[in-house]
Amino acid sequence: MNNRLNVTYTPRGPISAGIKGPFLVTKLMVLELLSAKELVWRLFVRDFKAKYRQSALGVTWAIVMPLVTVGMFIGMNRSGILNISDVDIPYPLYAIIGLTIWSVFTVGLSACASSLLIAGSMITKINFPKASLIFAASGQGIVEFIIRSALIMLAFLYFGVAPHLGGLFIGLICLIPLYLMMVGMGFILSLVAGVLRDIANFLNIALMGIMLLSPILYPITGDSLLARANIWNPFNYLVNLPRDFIVKGASDFLTGYIISAILSIIFFYVGWKLFYLAQTKIAERI
Amino acid sequence: MGDLVIKAEGISKKYCRTIKHTMLYGATDLSKSFLGINQNTNHLRNGEFWAVDNLSFELKRGECLGVIGPNGSGKSTLLKMINGIFMPDRGKIEINGRVGALIEIGAGFHPMLTGRENVYVNGSILGLSKKEIDRKFDDILDFAEIGEFIDAPVKHYSSGMHVRLGFAIAAQMEPDVMLIDEVLAVGDIGFRDKCFNAMARILKNAAVIFVSHAMPLVARISSRVCVMNHGNAVYQGRDVPKGIHNYYSNFEVATGIIAGNGRAVIHNIDFESKGEKGIEQLNYLDDLTVHLDLTVDPEVKYPSVAIGFISQELQTVALCYSLFDKIRIHNAGEHMNLALKLPEVCLSPGAYMLLVHITDERRVEVFAEHYAVKKLKIIGDFVTSAPVQLAGNWYINKTMLHKTGDL
Repeated sequence: MNNRLNVTYTPRGPISAGIKGPFLVTKLMVLELLSAKELVWRLFVRDFKAKYRQSALGVTWAIVMPLVTVGMFIGMNRSGILNISDVDIPYPLYAIIGLTIWSVFTVGLSACASSLLIAGSMITKINFPKASLIFAASGQGIVEFIIRSALIMLAFLYFGVAPHLGGLFIGLICLIPLYLMMVGMGFILSLVAGVLRDIANFLNIALMGIMLLSPILYPITGDSLLARANIWNPFNYLVNLPRDFIVKGASDFLTGYIISAILSIIFFYVGWKLFYLAQTKIAERI
Repeated sequence: MGDLVIKAEGISKKYCRTIKHTMLYGATDLSKSFLGINQNTNHLRNGEFWAVDNLSFELKRGECLGVIGPNGSGKSTLLKMINGIFMPDRGKIEINGRVGALIEIGAGFHPMLTGRENVYVNGSILGLSKKEIDRKFDDILDFAEIGEFIDAPVKHYSSGMHVRLGFAIAAQMEPDVMLIDEVLAVGDIGFRDKCFNAMARILKNAAVIFVSHAMPLVARISSRVCVMNHGNAVYQGRDVPKGIHNYYSNFEVATGIIAGNGRAVIHNIDFESKGEKGIEQLNYLDDLTVHLDLTVDPEVKYPSVAIGFISQELQTVALCYSLFDKIRIHNAGEHMNLALKLPEVCLSPGAYMLLVHITDERRVEVFAEHYAVKKLKIIGDFVTSAPVQLAGNWYINKTMLHKTGDL
């Protein structure tokens, strides 16, 4: 049931009485989100409960997975397969922080990308703000981050290193662009997944590839092709600046970070708008 | 009360026949609407067709529009446009108020969550706030009659419980427009009755659009009817029985089914009325003789024969059974002509099909069964959704009333 009163459905989309003026679409998008706050929360809780309810390890999965990944890299480093250059803090700590920050993006994006498809029958039968599905799914990235933060704390204690207190706060705030980037891409990927079903498989490979090619689990230094390419990689800045702040309260990545953050906001807005305009067209094709 | 809540003007929707076109046009339409390019949605591109073509109607509060038509005639597409799931390609729909839908209820239930959790999720998908759901929770529980299962995961529910809970939530909505699509086909009789009462309550304050293939239901609830075929409204109006009749005329009688163990063979069936043989139609209350040419296995001494009529809903609406009439048919194994004379056929005007059963006297062994083998049309100047219009005499203070001509 929609709460919009006096609406006219036309080939160009729904027209609600009383809302007009410039930035009409943006206004409608925001109004829709505000009216769907509760729905976003419900869907988020639903997904969260459903995800962890019937697994024996429950929430601990979120901790075991990064431990296994980091363990593999430590092993490769020690055996000399992979030569990781020195970082300011113990390497496992560096890797765990990087992976945890990165998980905001990967877990959230995977959830967003499949959210429309999973809700398929609902979309074609019930009229509700579809964007709430994406926002709800994006919350899973945040949950994953919070659970894994426990791991970071343990790692700090274990290695006897303290995070930079002021930097910790700034670092957390500086995760917002990464989140916005994820939601923006999630909007677009969820639409694409509605038409091309193989997006999920592709996404896992792509995310793994980005992780390995970006300085997330290990620093990429020197004058290699990869290092030069990473100057243009927004994830380089979106992950490393928050990590630097958490670890030492300062970062050299500021310029790149600001550009990347602006890029994220654009991605977020464009993705959301595209999604908003497309939602009625997707419903007839999903 | 009585105010206009839906106004649809010349709405049309086009669909693609192939997936290739769906994806191609989908991508181009999306990019165009994102770039703000005006699209001419009026003409059909290669591989497209109108699923709903130029439909107009108005509906006031308290009215119920029954939408009927064969499969694929555009009924569900129409409902989805009114529900705002997708936009019409031509025309426009004005809606004043909240739209509620009973369309595949229970969509959105998560199998891992309990019934209680799903009530809250589903309720908020349908646009109810937490407060509203809190307030209505007991009613929902009451209506669904699933008792303590409310705290069990929905995946352990029977399909009936699933639907009951879904309907219970949807029935709590207080919409101005209610869309109902073939949801009452499930559930037991008791629950169906409850659904009717809920719908009657909703109908008082809302305009209802009701899609169904169950004509008795349509006749019972609808105040107006729209008959669709191939996307077009072939009939629209307040004469519901006429619309239902129109709907039936879309269907040709399927070729009959002949079964049985072969110990009886029916060679020929013929209808006779007013002394004329080989007829296919007669007037309401005319006489009818059904002639059967048959041979039965000589070992069967006393076969029983049933002759009946099937409505277009495939319900057996009338039956004559030699057994119930205490008639014993003696069989010598020779070819025989059996005739059943009906002095006044009181089937309501419409199309019917004949069925013939030949069994033993215990009705256990079926020698021959001819189902829907021959068509009979009853002609009359009235239409009703009841399959039988009983013929009787009317009295006022013991004085019999006589038939007038046309009224």
